[in-house]
Amino acid sequence: MARNKTFNRKNLTFLLVIVLVGTLSLMGRLAYLMIFKAEHYGIMAKEIHERERPIKAERGTIYDANGIELANNKPVCTISVIHSQIEEPEKVIEILAKELGLSTETVRKRVEKVSSIERIRSNVDKELADQIREYDLAGVMIDEDYKRYYPYETLASKVIGFTGSDNQGIIGLEVEYDKYLAGIDGTILTLTTARGVEIKNAAEDRVEPVAGNDLYLSLDVNIQKYAEQAAKKVYEAKQAKNVKLIALNPQNGEIYAMVNYPEFNLNDPFTLNTEINVTLSDSEKNNLLNNMWRNGCISDTYEPGSTFKIVTATAALEEKVVKLTDTFNCPGYKIVEDRKIRCHKTAGHGTETFVEGIQNSCNPVFMEVGARVGAENMYKNYKKLGLFQKTGIDVPGEANSITHKLENVKAVELATMSFGQGISITPLQLLVAASAVVNGGTRITPHFGVKIVSADGQYVKKLTYREKSNVITKETSDTMKMLLESVVAEGSGNKAYLPGFRIGGKTATSEKLPRRSNKYISSFIGFAPADDPQIMAIVLIDEPVGIYYGGTIAAPVIADLFSNVLPYMGIEEQYVGEDGATDNQ
Amino acid sequence: MTKSEQERMNGKKKINNYYDYSLLFLTIFLSCFGMVMIYSTSSYTAQVKFSDPTYFLKKQLVSVILGVIAMLAVSKIDYRILMKKAGRIPFNLVTLAYLMAIILQTYVLFFGKEFNGAKRWISLGPFGTFQPSEFTKVVAIIFVSYIVNKLPRSLNRVSGFIRVMILASPLIFLIVIENLSTALVVSAIVVGICFVASRKKWYYFFFGFLFVGMVVAYIFLGDEFRSVRIDVWRNVETHPLGFQILQGLYAIASGGVFGTGLGESMQKLGFIPESHNDMIFSIICEELGLFGAIAVVLLFVLLIWRLFIISINAPDLFGGLICSGVLIHIAVQVIINVAVVTNSIPSTGIPLPFISYGGTSVAILLAEMGLALSVSNQIRSERI
Repeated sequence: MARNKTFNRKNLTFLLVIVLVGTLSLMGRLAYLMIFKAEHYGIMAKEIHERERPIKAERGTIYDANGIELANNKPVCTISVIHSQIEEPEKVIEILAKELGLSTETVRKRVEKVSSIERIRSNVDKELADQIREYDLAGVMIDEDYKRYYPYETLASKVIGFTGSDNQGIIGLEVEYDKYLAGIDGTILTLTTARGVEIKNAAEDRVEPVAGNDLYLSLDVNIQKYAEQAAKKVYEAKQAKNVKLIALNPQNGEIYAMVNYPEFNLNDPFTLNTEINVTLSDSEKNNLLNNMWRNGCISDTYEPGSTFKIVTATAALEEKVVKLTDTFNCPGYKIVEDRKIRCHKTAGHGTETFVEGIQNSCNPVFMEVGARVGAENMYKNYKKLGLFQKTGIDVPGEANSITHKLENVKAVELATMSFGQGISITPLQLLVAASAVVNGGTRITPHFGVKIVSADGQYVKKLTYREKSNVITKETSDTMKMLLESVVAEGSGNKAYLPGFRIGGKTATSEKLPRRSNKYISSFIGFAPADDPQIMAIVLIDEPVGIYYGGTIAAPVIADLFSNVLPYMGIEEQYVGEDGATDNQ
Repeated sequence: MTKSEQERMNGKKKINNYYDYSLLFLTIFLSCFGMVMIYSTSSYTAQVKFSDPTYFLKKQLVSVILGVIAMLAVSKIDYRILMKKAGRIPFNLVTLAYLMAIILQTYVLFFGKEFNGAKRWISLGPFGTFQPSEFTKVVAIIFVSYIVNKLPRSLNRVSGFIRVMILASPLIFLIVIENLSTALVVSAIVVGICFVASRKKWYYFFFGFLFVGMVVAYIFLGDEFRSVRIDVWRNVETHPLGFQILQGLYAIASGGVFGTGLGESMQKLGFIPESHNDMIFSIICEELGLFGAIAVVLLFVLLIWRLFIISINAPDLFGGLICSGVLIHIAVQVIINVAVVTNSIPSTGIPLPFISYGGTSVAILLAEMGLALSVSNQIRSERI
């Protein structure tokens, strides 16, 4: 038997030292990991342990000028399933399919999907959700949340817009002011096991949501309603394709009403507002929906026709190339270069003054006046009146005007533009230009948003908009007001006349392109009171059937609107001078 | 007169059998602590898989009880019985164990039970499974100790060392096919015992460098599977296969200095798959913190120290080498396990002795400790 020798012990001691060095360095490694790397890995570990459940922030309310809610929130529920917690899948599938009106296959697919949480349906009414809660199904989770709700449904639908499933704005003001309205979502952080099961009694971290800010508009529910009624009436009477109507305050650009008739139901924005008999492909339906949502007042350009004579007359007065007493002769046409351009009255207006020319909406008069202004000065005035730029309205999707390049404007182009052909603008751009003409020369920015108020009412942000004053002179403005009042009082706009009110305006009948298609846009732009305009409105009747003269069908729409709105706005009937005397008798 | 001669003379005068109770206590304590940790780490998985949170604990408990009985029994038998012939069989017990290990290892290669893609277990029917490679480790210890003890001077030459390696090689090669890491442990045991027994050591350093060179070459030229491990090791935070190790690191780091408290681990809730196995040390770190982890490592150091003391005081070379072998076995497994869990070396599956879940492992380890205790019991001295 061999002895255990000294060198054996030495060798073993050597091994022991190696082992000790090894364990010591591992202890060092442990200390390094657990002290210096603790935070680094701790954060990473926490991320996988915690499940974040968002708490939706309540979206801000949209109020009209009177403080009436146009868009608010109503409590709804989101129903989801947690795969690992479901105990009776068949029962869950059956009940959810029945209560939510979904097909069994759809529900089954989601219930059987192995995921930490699967949404079955959002925006479920609270009552229905409470009913489902009664069943007390394991693994079915009901989260309360908010759904956007529009109490007036179709009112100003294309202006207000609506929100998507994540409460984000999709069109209209809901998009424009999304960052103010949205608020900041909160979160609930819960600890879960690797299989996603929440650990009971584990401390929850909760980050409270911040509610969105409220938005106050200049839009007035009552004026909007009057406007929509007026638009609806003419839409039905004239079987028009659509009717657009905008009413604003020409002094500061606050929009009171913007109608795109037919409107759609904001609470159900994905249902078409017209009867469609054929089945549609998805892309076709999307196109139709996009058309339905389109805000034509700002997105569609048209040739303004005779209403544009306001701009031509203003330019002429600004450039001092015409006096009110200047006389013109209208034989029913005017020859410009080699073209014979007709007046709408083929027999001609004969000899007339500039004032009568406006009242008659006589094309040869304006061709003559336009020629006197000249292309360059005409464009200078267009620019001053904001016709080459977007108006800057606080609704997305605005279009810009389509005009000839200045160097391409020859006599014929200048002549046609003088009476509103060969230039395409949006109705809103015309309204901005006309506002400047009647308000003393200030180019305003049309807008809806007035102020933003935080949910607790503590913080208020007043919205300001760009204005440019003195784009035209006060004298020109005063003269134009007088002229446009006379159009209504004595001229082609007489159907807009309301006894007791001083109303100014201008009619137009624009033939749509291509010419000779017999498709027209009848329009009228009007304002009141004529001496100190508080409201200005434009109406566009797209493709009316039958009589299409703006003076005949569009002017009464504005008269109808003003007859309701002016008293509502506190503008009293005033019977002064002869009118008042006769009425009182 | 040398000290040992003095002791021997004392021993002759006064028969005073020593028994290392410290080692016994440490061993039992570690096994019990292991069961606490197994319950802590496995109760969640056991509940999920078997609806019984004590499923793994119960199985481990049975093995520990069997192991402790085996340990006590073995410790009371003189280890030198191993060198005697067993009845009518023409071999001594060491050779018998050697042959049995080879048979079992061969058997498992063909009829073994697959688990997690590796064929390492022999099914024992209602008694669970048996992992022969654990048995092979003990056999390697006693077999190599036996051979070296027979020809102690042969190791002074390289040829002698190579002869020992050739004799031990069937044990290693039969394991390496299915389980590289265990084969490494067995190799370490074999080489370690030879090292302790050698008067000349230059060739160990030569072979050591050769081995390191081969490992390096293997790392860079080796097959896909191994080089992936290296990639994982170096990019543990970004590599998709680094999941388990990264989760272990999360657990270790989450523990901090004082830990989250026993039973409070988050990572055992399914984030670390089978956290009661090789990764159990990471949960110890998470629940007991740096203090707990270092305490556990120190317990192992203490255990190794006791083995060292027994080994250098062993009455003969055979006993001393057996204890050295046990020491090397435990030290290698502890160091590799902790190093893997802390991502200090590339990942490889080595259980933490006494603590990781594994019936065969713990039972055989306990029996192995019985051998060391048996050696200690043969020390005849009044004081150590």
